[in-house]
Amino acid sequence: MAIDQKVQDYKKMLDLFPNAQEKYQYLIEQAKDNTNFPEELRNDNFKVSGCQSQVWLIPEEKDEKVYFMSDSDALIAKGLVTLIASIYSDETPEDIINSEIDLMEEFELGVILSPARRNGAFNMLKLIKDYAVKLKKA
Amino acid sequence: MSEFVDIKKDFPIFNREINSKKLTYLDSGATAQKPQIVIDAMNNVYTNTNANVHRGTYVLSAETTQLYEDVRKKCKKFLNAYSSDEIIFTKGATEGFNFLANSISKKYLKPGDEILLTEIEHHANIIPWQMVAKQYDLQIKYIKIDENFSIDLDDLKEKISTKTKVVSITGESNLSGLLPDIKLISTLVKENSDALFILDGAQLVPHRKVDVQALGIDFILFSGHKLLGPTGIGIVWGRLDLLNELEPVSGGGDMIEEVYYDRATWAPVPHKFEAGTPPYVEAIGLGAAIDYLENITMEKVSQHSDTLRKYAQGIFSDIDRVNVIHTNEEFAGCTFSMYVDQIHATDISLMLDTYGVAVRAGHHCVQPFHRKLGIDATFRATGYIYNDENDLDVFKDALLSSIEMLG
Repeated sequence: MAIDQKVQDYKKMLDLFPNAQEKYQYLIEQAKDNTNFPEELRNDNFKVSGCQSQVWLIPEEKDEKVYFMSDSDALIAKGLVTLIASIYSDETPEDIINSEIDLMEEFELGVILSPARRNGAFNMLKLIKDYAVKLKKA
Repeated sequence: MSEFVDIKKDFPIFNREINSKKLTYLDSGATAQKPQIVIDAMNNVYTNTNANVHRGTYVLSAETTQLYEDVRKKCKKFLNAYSSDEIIFTKGATEGFNFLANSISKKYLKPGDEILLTEIEHHANIIPWQMVAKQYDLQIKYIKIDENFSIDLDDLKEKISTKTKVVSITGESNLSGLLPDIKLISTLVKENSDALFILDGAQLVPHRKVDVQALGIDFILFSGHKLLGPTGIGIVWGRLDLLNELEPVSGGGDMIEEVYYDRATWAPVPHKFEAGTPPYVEAIGLGAAIDYLENITMEKVSQHSDTLRKYAQGIFSDIDRVNVIHTNEEFAGCTFSMYVDQIHATDISLMLDTYGVAVRAGHHCVQPFHRKLGIDATFRATGYIYNDENDLDVFKDALLSSIEMLG
């Protein structure tokens, strides 16, 4: 499924929740379902900088497509990175690089996607594109 | 409490709703909300009198200069300083520390001299010293904090010596609410060394009457924005004899007497430390904030803080899974840092926000002490004059619900 389509699907899902609390609750559920991150890779090499909590993001390449594994020590941040990882997983590096969709704009997630100075979400997205660029070159 | 019942009405921000809930603001330790009179005072300058200070020979400049210099007098009275020339305007407490660290090191310190801080200092009272220590080959020592989150006086006595040239400590901890006995500590410092004694007043000055003469200190600094005033303005107070000796660390307009192509001479204290156009509008806003607090009286402000703190201690004392970092001393500020077993502090603060409750999450610029306690982050509730018992109840209920949701 194209990145844009996945974003639209998540957007529809998030719009179903009438308030921030229920949106966070949804992210918490996503976080709790995400249990496959290898403990030994919770290290600084895969850490996303600028997050208030610790967030890890790791790319894997399989059959010319990229897949991301993600984790965080905070639940809401983990839910967010889980969702972002799923949007950009099962895609080619090219499609990730060319995707121009503005997640911050599309998802109304209040303070967690606000354009703050230490915007962890922005860094998560940047890292995904950086990985895609590296994988394309390799 | 009666004086404080309607106080929220003076602060327009409390008309706001957050996530369809009434705002419960418990982050005054980071910055305080502003009463309408502060906003009006600043609007008045821009609307009616704006002109650069100390420069123009015309009505507007004279009026603005008068308003600006009047704030120095207000600060003198507010702190019981010896002279209004001892009041230096800065951008804030952090700039104040950078100024003092640089100016004092340049004038008084030599390689091997020691600077004594405590383990619980704000980064603004650590990093400027680390920077000058590297430059001038100085030693920094940290006085231990004991299990009650109080300053270990025995450790202080052990670490202070004739090599100690600066002692710089917080007047009120932004983490645990600790109110060190400044008079006792300044006496100990003077008895055992000839060190300069600097008090970080960032959290103290908004809540307590500070009398610089009675405390026996050499310098104090604070920010305007934690004191109901605007951002971008702070105060360094220093003893006049010391200020006369210290050299400026910033050069430019407003701080000079005579300038030649090859040299310059400085204006008298305090102006020699105030290079460039000062934040005069912000200073005038700070003056209005001081008027507001003095009108209530600092005595009642501190009583209110004590009342809130006792109430908070009662309701926070026994919440399942919640660990509270707060001093056990009889007197303390209304500052409570907390962490919940197995739940990240940012999750708690994001969840609290959905109830309209604003608290700070993170290390509150006290990273080394968090590291010492073995905690990544805490969330912190701080109370100020516009808070009441109901705010604390709302916070506690929201906290219980948040913990339940986060599991």
